Amino acid sequence: MGANSDGSESEPFAATKVFSLTSNSLRLILGLALGWSMLAFPSPLQADTLDRIKTSGQLRYGADEEGGAPYFFKDGDGRRVGFEADLMAEIGRELGVEPVFQQAQWETLLQVLDRGEVDVVINGYELTASRSRDFLATRPYYVYQLQLMARGDGPLHSWADIQLPRPGGGPWKIAVLGMSAADLYARRFQGENLRVAISDGATTAMRGVRNGQFDATLQDLPAARHYIKTTDFRDQLRLIGPPEGSGYYVIYTRKKDTSLNEAIDRAIAKLLESGKLRRIYEKYDIWNDAQKVLESRSSVAMDKAGPSRPWFDLDLLVRFGPSLIWAALTTLVLSFSAMPLAMAIGMLVAIGRVYGSWPIAKAFGCYVELVRGTPLILQLFVLFYVLPEIGITLTPWAAGVAGLAINYSAYEAEIYRAGLQAIPRGQMEAALALGMSPALALRRVIIPQAIRIVIPPVTSDFIALFKDTSVCSVIMLTELTKQYSILFNSQGGVIEFGLATAALYMAMSLPLSAFSRWVERRMDAGPSKGVVR
Amino acid sequence: MIEVEGLIKRHGVLEVLKGVTLQVALGEVAVIVGPSGGGKSTFLRCLNGLESFQGGSVTVDGLKISLETPGRERSRTLRQVCRRVGMVFQNFNLFPHRTVLENVTEGPTYVLGLDRGLAEERARKLLDRVGLIDKLDARPRQLSGGQQQRVAIARALAMEPRAILFDEPTSALDPRMTNEVLAVMADLARDGLTMVIVTHAMRFARQVAQTVHVFEGGQVLESGPPGQIFDAPRLEATRLLLAETQAA
Repeated sequence: MGANSDGSESEPFAATKVFSLTSNSLRLILGLALGWSMLAFPSPLQADTLDRIKTSGQLRYGADEEGGAPYFFKDGDGRRVGFEADLMAEIGRELGVEPVFQQAQWETLLQVLDRGEVDVVINGYELTASRSRDFLATRPYYVYQLQLMARGDGPLHSWADIQLPRPGGGPWKIAVLGMSAADLYARRFQGENLRVAISDGATTAMRGVRNGQFDATLQDLPAARHYIKTTDFRDQLRLIGPPEGSGYYVIYTRKKDTSLNEAIDRAIAKLLESGKLRRIYEKYDIWNDAQKVLESRSSVAMDKAGPSRPWFDLDLLVRFGPSLIWAALTTLVLSFSAMPLAMAIGMLVAIGRVYGSWPIAKAFGCYVELVRGTPLILQLFVLFYVLPEIGITLTPWAAGVAGLAINYSAYEAEIYRAGLQAIPRGQMEAALALGMSPALALRRVIIPQAIRIVIPPVTSDFIALFKDTSVCSVIMLTELTKQYSILFNSQGGVIEFGLATAALYMAMSLPLSAFSRWVERRMDAGPSKGVVR
Repeated sequence: MIEVEGLIKRHGVLEVLKGVTLQVALGEVAVIVGPSGGGKSTFLRCLNGLESFQGGSVTVDGLKISLETPGRERSRTLRQVCRRVGMVFQNFNLFPHRTVLENVTEGPTYVLGLDRGLAEERARKLLDRVGLIDKLDARPRQLSGGQQQRVAIARALAMEPRAILFDEPTSALDPRMTNEVLAVMADLARDGLTMVIVTHAMRFARQVAQTVHVFEGGQVLESGPPGQIFDAPRLEATRLLLAETQAA
């Protein structure tokens, strides 16, 4: 990356600027995070990985089965199949070892590799310059192309159509697998007329298109063809226009594992020569003429080592900081929309449980148990992916805010219930004896006293919600944690992005804690101080 | 002013009130005495709806509540009753999050819809009357028990009630504070306020009551003017009971 060497000149200046802004506590946390990331790096004293693989007879490889067809998936009998599973079996045979599958979320695979949990990563990972900087790529084993998929009745007829105005106004909404080649490709066209949404898996993006939440999805051709052929997406989606763009799938190893890398290169070359590779691809119906490029070595030559980079690359932050800050804003807006709603619903539920008639109290009790007893991620899935099946289609934002609000309302309700029940019975009786209606008594006498009690737990709940917004990445909202993951995987730079993300989270939650302490102090001392003149 | 007919109150199988019949005339000071657990407080709380009952009827200032009254109408009527009849509790039950002045203006402002300025003026007068004009901006927790109870009386008076119910108003107080509260109550009695007082303060009862009702086992054992009840009860049981209570 040419930008690196340019950026390093301004680095000392910018670095002092960044650090002069941080408080002592922040510095401590940054230091701790730094220490951790250092520990996470594999030790250079470790023996050669290829030797260890040969000795143990096991080649551990990371991949993601979820939405992984035709790469990795379970067939009808529950066996793990897929063209990459077959390829790994062949490579294992060439190396004389047994390939061992390790499941991990697709976007975390390179982190898993970095930690040393697996020896290689293979899962439709494209050859990109930024990944090559931190990891070692083998020679390509597949030439992929990108394919647009949309509903049969939609207005899109080819990728070129996204330049046209969208009927009904607004930008085209295209879903892509986060950090995939399609993501990078689509982002080049992003603008007034095109919004790119990040999905967690190939199928979730397709489901979103089917439900009308997105206009289309850009997928790697093998995945697109597989799902159109083998699932009931066949009836609802179709392939739109000719394939777009192209690139190489490679296997990644850790940077220091050159011997392992070369061994896999040799294995792939043999499989190419013997025609085994082609037979695998034909079996999964993903062979096309584009694959011929694989055989001519000259066309795939690439600087495997990649440029070296400083241990702290400030240029990365300069270039990608804005997208992190944008994601932090998403986190803020999500929490500040969801929390007031959660508090309002929670208050209603708590009052119903404490003062309502038997059926109301019972019904709200069930609500709390149901919402508290199921995970947030499941509730988001239901709101975003299941409700459309019965005709209620929510945007990612609506589903995210609603999901968080509903989930947290149950916890809020329990906090308020405790607060309400902590108020002595005599308070309600005194209010009623003054002729107040129960509603007025609650508003004037009970709730103001209960609020004082619940401020600390509600604040800590708010901070929890604030961090729980990261779960919203499953419904295609790119908030801070997701953006961090995307950047790390597409750009490398675990230290730079990790520290920046931690700093952003702290910058958002520290004022929140300070605010709650201020409210608590004011509530406690304020009124009496305010009246004595 | 207050008419109670055959009032029955049950907690499950336990019958707390076994058909109590009792009248309190306008301007009358009625004192209810008797051993603990005799149903005195429960009876008082039935008068303004803090307790529900299972039989008989209660009529307060012409507003009648009985078992036949439908639920919605009953709660509306009870709210009317509460506007006209104040209550003073054993544990004061002041609103701890409000100042003394706010405690007294709360009812007039939010229940009667009185202008805030008028409500404050009324509250100042009442707090002056109970001797707390210098505590307007204090919080309840900064006051002694006797002071708190006097604020509670002012709070009840601020609604300009036709009657006030006192539920053991001095039981949580030491003797000196008891006297300052009783002095305020005696002052109200002189003004002709209708009062129903549940108390163990026998000397006070003898001084201010027009009628004394002796409760025992959920029933009215005997009623009459204090002279009769304390000095020449008709029933031997009453004499024994009062001797017992006074000894304790």
